[in-house]
Amino acid sequence: MTDSRWRALLQRIVYASTFERVVISLAALLLSILVGGVLILVSGRLTTCPTAAATYLGVGFCYDPITVFDRLFFGALGDPMNPLFRPFAGEFAPPFRAGWSPFNSEMAVTLRETAVLIFTGLSVAVAFRADVFNIGTQGQLVVGAITSAVSLTALGPVAPSGIAGSLLLIPAGLLAGAIAGGLYGAIPGALKAYADANEVITTIMLNFVAAKVALFLVSGPLQRADSQIAQTEPIPAAASIPSVLFDARTGFSLVALAVAVCTALACYYLLNHTTLGYELRTSGLQAAAARYAGVKTDRTIVGSLVLSGALGGLGGAIYVMMIVGDFQTGVPSYGFDGITVAILAGSNPLGVLLAAPLFGIIQSGSIVIDTTTNVPPQLVDVLRGLIVLFVAMPEFFRQFGRRFFEDDGGEIDG
Amino acid sequence: MTTAVQLDGITKRFPGVLANDDVDLTVEQGTVHALLGENGAGKTTLMNILYGLYEPTDGRIVVDGDERSFESPRAAIDAGIGMIHQHFMLVEPMTVAENVTLGAEPRKWGGLAVDADAAVREVAALSEQYGLDVDPTAPVETLSVGVQQRTEILKALYRGADVLILDEPTAVLTPQEVEELLSIFDHLTDQGKTIIFITHKLGEAMAAADDITVLRDGQTIGSIAADDTSREALAEMMVGREVLLEIERPPVETGSTLLTVKNVSTPSQRGVPAVSDVSFSAHAGEIFGIAGVDGNGQRELIELLTGLSTPASGSIVFDGEVITHASRRERIERGIAYVPEDRHAQGLVMPFDLVENGLLGNQRTSSFANAGRIDWAACKEHASSIIEEYDVRPPNPSASAESLSGGNQQKFIVGRELARDPTLLIATHPTRGVDIGSTEFIHEQLLALREAGVAVVLVSSKLDEVRGLSDRMAVMHDGMFVDTVDPDAVTEEELGLLMAGEHPTGGEQ
Repeated sequence: MTDSRWRALLQRIVYASTFERVVISLAALLLSILVGGVLILVSGRLTTCPTAAATYLGVGFCYDPITVFDRLFFGALGDPMNPLFRPFAGEFAPPFRAGWSPFNSEMAVTLRETAVLIFTGLSVAVAFRADVFNIGTQGQLVVGAITSAVSLTALGPVAPSGIAGSLLLIPAGLLAGAIAGGLYGAIPGALKAYADANEVITTIMLNFVAAKVALFLVSGPLQRADSQIAQTEPIPAAASIPSVLFDARTGFSLVALAVAVCTALACYYLLNHTTLGYELRTSGLQAAAARYAGVKTDRTIVGSLVLSGALGGLGGAIYVMMIVGDFQTGVPSYGFDGITVAILAGSNPLGVLLAAPLFGIIQSGSIVIDTTTNVPPQLVDVLRGLIVLFVAMPEFFRQFGRRFFEDDGGEIDG
Repeated sequence: MTTAVQLDGITKRFPGVLANDDVDLTVEQGTVHALLGENGAGKTTLMNILYGLYEPTDGRIVVDGDERSFESPRAAIDAGIGMIHQHFMLVEPMTVAENVTLGAEPRKWGGLAVDADAAVREVAALSEQYGLDVDPTAPVETLSVGVQQRTEILKALYRGADVLILDEPTAVLTPQEVEELLSIFDHLTDQGKTIIFITHKLGEAMAAADDITVLRDGQTIGSIAADDTSREALAEMMVGREVLLEIERPPVETGSTLLTVKNVSTPSQRGVPAVSDVSFSAHAGEIFGIAGVDGNGQRELIELLTGLSTPASGSIVFDGEVITHASRRERIERGIAYVPEDRHAQGLVMPFDLVENGLLGNQRTSSFANAGRIDWAACKEHASSIIEEYDVRPPNPSASAESLSGGNQQKFIVGRELARDPTLLIATHPTRGVDIGSTEFIHEQLLALREAGVAVVLVSSKLDEVRGLSDRMAVMHDGMFVDTVDPDAVTEEELGLLMAGEHPTGGEQ
């Protein structure tokens, strides 16, 4: 292809409509499954095993791509499909398996991961709209999580018991996480706005600062009295977000998911229906136009990182209050996955509600593959990476490719 | 006479845009050919195709009788076609000779070293031959824009160009420099070179060209000999309807002083003064013009007036109150409207639709946003009324700003700013890159404001415009007001000297 053909292709992606973008994302997902399937077959041939998992065209393979992707996607939902439901073969049994309940434990893991990823995805997306690339959501989540855990432990003895305690402690924990995350986000914000420090660099560095300080605190001054591992005192029972309909042991709460969804809707409203959101989006797209309109773009940068950090901190609070029940080291990389969620979502809060479940499914489905097949976890990681890469790339090109066409201003004649 | 370049049925399609639609162009050897058309007519695209920057979707390119297809500018240069872009491509710290020979240097010692002396000799000879009057040993950064442009012409000639394409060559020149450029055209054509130049200025096409081809909406409207046509006829070909070219400024009684600027100075980023010791005042019912070659401090001065920056010294008084350090927000609220210089970067948010763009600057006005909540219904109504009143096309408030042509973008900005019901309007290059039809309309709007008792500060590098509209006019050079003149009394020659920083009576200031 010539240079101009590449340019034309990029232009096509950059100016794709919402419908086209959804179609492109689905096509990319399908393509990643095909490529992943080939990869599974090849590695299945290169491995030795007592019995072949699948035989295609008379050749035996140690791993079966159909099983793997079935486990990944349907396993993550607790196997809802009825094996007798084969519409392509003309058999229309009830589509859902008898005995399948939507409140199963695999579904719980999927939704649990989704809930936290909605917060981190929103965190990155909101900053992105202000043209701020916040890679520090992970650090902001850690700071929010530890602050939430510590303040809840401190509040525990003075809080009333029962429902009243929950009504007091849960909002307090969320607030503590949001404030701490927001303040931690303000640091790179101020550095960028007033000292022209690149936020990509500062937020990456602040991730390390957050992780190391948290490690120091939970393995020293804040360590649980009789514990061998680095963890804080447990939060009071009333501060755990109650699970509804799902088994409490899965660590998932529908209440938390509802809070996440409401937060996404609130972010959407903020961006699209308020003066603040309008100013934030204007600064993000064209800082010069924002200044022309009387917006103080420095403040917008700080504000967007405070908001972004607060969302990350909320995610941390939810992580503590819903999943672990205290703060301990080894926080999963929700913040980094949030970057991919935000890119896939096109930095749209409503898009985050679609992108986060995909990542939730992949997380949960990988666990199902690990426990039900002999496919090594490294291969599962590769498959996850492939899906993320394929699905996120078109959006990545769309968002960054824009810069190529900004010089032209889209005009043909100068 | 032989045909130097013939373009036959050239069509160029970009995603969603038909930039050239079956365009024909025939250029005779040894003539000056003007490619005339409004912005977005497809002139630059057509020339970029001839220069090998774009591949045509369809059509034939014939150079010197041979059908050619240029894969790259290199191939076009080899075929004797040179192009001088609007933005010069020169290495500023290097000398003229180094720039001209760059990439094709004369060699010595069996090709091991650059023969700098030969380069200077060859460039000097070329400059002499075509009457370009360029010193080959001068570093480019020390040269005026006009001489830099001639260096670009030398570059093309050095590479053996027989056909020279110039894209809007006069946009950056003073009137004197334009004169010089036109005489250079004569020198070049006398020696058999062919010149194609792109312009949207009627007067220039008439003065400089032998033949004129008019493009509109990507199509050839016609080719005509310059001697057989008139400005009015060309304007009609360009716009597609009859256009009023002269600006009529009815007498208006001037009211009270609205804006007083006293001794303001501000440094530029490099530390040298961008605006030094400028003072003026503007009254109700008056258009105060600021003329000058671009880049002489106009932009910085306007930023001081609009609140995008604050002066290092001096004061600004508006409507009886000191606003020297007032924020941009506060000045908007006080009734200062601003049509900015750069509509793509400042005046519009390109990916936003017109409803969102209508809100730009109004986002904290209570009629559009109550308690931080935006009333999108009111915004849509606002955008629709601007579109209707100012004839913005397409008349669709949900069209994105980037999908509009330059003229329509500008009409929308003017409409938005005037809808603020301003006391003072600051307009910078309000018709730059705008088609004739929209220019006429914007001029009418400015004059209507003047009659309504608004003070207008107008910055423009178009002399006709600033002279035609202004009641009083300052000429700016090197950050200073060289003089304030009566636009009806001053001659073009005097203005040209003032713009170059020379005072006709009192020598250089």
